[in-house]
Amino acid sequence: MQINRRVFLGLGAATLAATAVAASTFGGWTLTRSGVQPLLLSARNDAAGRHFAVGYRLDGSQVFATPVSERCHDVVGHPFLPMALFVGRRPSTKSYLIDTRDGRLLQTLHSPAQRHFYGHAIFHKDGEWLYATENDTSDPGRGVLGVYRLEGEQLHRSTELSSHGVGPHQLLWQPDGETLVVANGGIRTEADSRVEMNLNSMQSSLVLMHRDGRLLSKEQLPEQMNSVRHLAVSSDGTVVSGQQYMGALSDLVPLLAIKRPGQPFQHFHVAEAQRQLMSQYTASVAIHSELRLLALTAPRGNRVFIWDLDSAELRLDAHLADCAGVGAVADGFVVSSGVGRCRLYDCRGKRIISQPLQLPTGLWDNHLRMA
Amino acid sequence: MIRSPLGLALLSLTLTACSPADPQQQVSQALTDGVILPIYSAWNEADRQLAVSAQAFCADQQNLAEARQAFATAQSAWAAVQPVLLGPLAEGNRAWQVQFWPDKKNLVARQVEALLNKKSVLSAADLEKSSVVVQGLTAYEYLLFDATLDLSNTEQKARYCPLLVAIGEHQQDLAADVLASWQSDDGMAAQLKTFPNARYAEAPEAVAELLRTQVSAIDGLKKKLGTPMGRQSKGQPQPYQAEAWRSKASLTNLAASLASAERIWLGAEQNGIQALLSADQAELKQRINAAFSDTRQRLAAAPRPLGELLGDEAGRAELNALYDSLNTLHRLHEADLAKTLGIQLGFNAHDGD
Repeated sequence: MQINRRVFLGLGAATLAATAVAASTFGGWTLTRSGVQPLLLSARNDAAGRHFAVGYRLDGSQVFATPVSERCHDVVGHPFLPMALFVGRRPSTKSYLIDTRDGRLLQTLHSPAQRHFYGHAIFHKDGEWLYATENDTSDPGRGVLGVYRLEGEQLHRSTELSSHGVGPHQLLWQPDGETLVVANGGIRTEADSRVEMNLNSMQSSLVLMHRDGRLLSKEQLPEQMNSVRHLAVSSDGTVVSGQQYMGALSDLVPLLAIKRPGQPFQHFHVAEAQRQLMSQYTASVAIHSELRLLALTAPRGNRVFIWDLDSAELRLDAHLADCAGVGAVADGFVVSSGVGRCRLYDCRGKRIISQPLQLPTGLWDNHLRMA
Repeated sequence: MIRSPLGLALLSLTLTACSPADPQQQVSQALTDGVILPIYSAWNEADRQLAVSAQAFCADQQNLAEARQAFATAQSAWAAVQPVLLGPLAEGNRAWQVQFWPDKKNLVARQVEALLNKKSVLSAADLEKSSVVVQGLTAYEYLLFDATLDLSNTEQKARYCPLLVAIGEHQQDLAADVLASWQSDDGMAAQLKTFPNARYAEAPEAVAELLRTQVSAIDGLKKKLGTPMGRQSKGQPQPYQAEAWRSKASLTNLAASLASAERIWLGAEQNGIQALLSADQAELKQRINAAFSDTRQRLAAAPRPLGELLGDEAGRAELNALYDSLNTLHRLHEADLAKTLGIQLGFNAHDGD
């Protein structure tokens, strides 16, 4: 054990030194927006299996690592205050509001009785309201959006809305900041459980709804067992969703879909060679609005993909073991991994360049956010 | 083409490669040259011989026993690949083209017959377009071994030979393609030897994937044994759900896979995974050595094929002991070895979120 720890530490120091030397040779390679390095927020475990809410600069410096009692899933930054909610992974009933300057735990947010979090939430642009996808376990799978009001440094449950579907997962805003996009995964699960109850009668949908609860549109993919899970929205309102197919591994089912403004929800073109590599499972999606690129992680296939958002041209098909979160930065995308090093994919040139980052190796949870 | 050229994203060369003294890099290099490439080469050669054999048998220049021998060699070579099933053959479900297992509904027989009823003349291109169920060794085994077929009969031979030849060719092409992508300039072998590269940021990522592949292969051996033993069906033996039940080679295949796994552990010259354990971890090393030895000896001592052992109490007791032995080996890798080496085997992939 000791020898190996020494080996790892030694390696870390060596590569760190190499990076420091290299930093000036990247030729305009920048991780920063307006001179400030963005903060990477994610849930992460340590080797002993303890859970943390962490914030790191991309040069590897740790801003905070706050112990939390359960594993978290997505992270929701406040639009202008230095705080973020680390959302409990389903079927957790706890989420953690954290000061992103120093990691101070501001509040452990509890879902009400007969509700649990699904792992995703979103702050409204005025900073006062937070919407979280939740399960009504008195009617297992009935999707609700818990609505919470921020008062000082505390979130309080205000009301709830229907998600207009079963098993809601990720939710995001349309560019107007008033219209919610909700991925209703379609899968019923009970309290304290991750076991699917209804695979043969799943009804997954992509819902657009006003934040007052009004349903604006509800669309479905043709494959009944294709669960719409994760979302990305570009600055022009294009919505992309990543699916998880619950049927046989050999079924030929597309796993990415797109809804361009004013158009129907439909499959995004992915060549069969890439589709097959996904093993019916996508994890995180991200859009780079300036570069018009779409990135996807497929951890069961250990694959990171990047496509041109408009032409659907494949730009990257790379191996990354247990790839997890993906987030856009100025030059491209940052991708984390459950078992290996995080990578930056520099997308500015014709050829996408992969660069390992000096962040802790592995144990990163499914999602990351750049704040 | 195995991999899109787009996948070969250029790595910035600003990170210096690990020094040659890095033990993780040494192990990854040594295993690539000393164990993995030889295993893939042997598989490639066995499939080349399989294609030759299919042609010869169908031209009446080989007898059934010789054709079966060529199949047995190819099947065994494929079993040996499984503990090193990473990279080109592991991705995009390509391994399905080699073998169809488990086959719970006897799809192999049904799809072979359906295909041949539809096509009396079968080209390699026809096979390419067909289901993976009929493209691989399992279908080949059906042709040569199934009790309802008799390829010494001229009429039957005429019916089944086009498929036999097409599968032989398909396997040969697949193996050659996979081996080439291992050996190409920036192919899989190169990526396991110098770091960083488009696939691995550093040697520990490569070693981690080697161990992950090893652990999942040993787990696969448990499934291959446990499924016919009825461990997933309330203890009711399921002899026809065994791998290679028609050629009675289930245990032979397990032994071939186990031998590869042991080579990954030991290395060709004592430079395998075990070289990463230090002197003060000698006890774990001994336990893993002993576990390999125990499983290997039990397999070697098995007096009868799996299907027969399933048929009586004494046989089932032997299989249970073999299963326990595999289980010990699996646990030692998955828990003790991975932890000792600081390797994270998985985290998110089976998370279901």
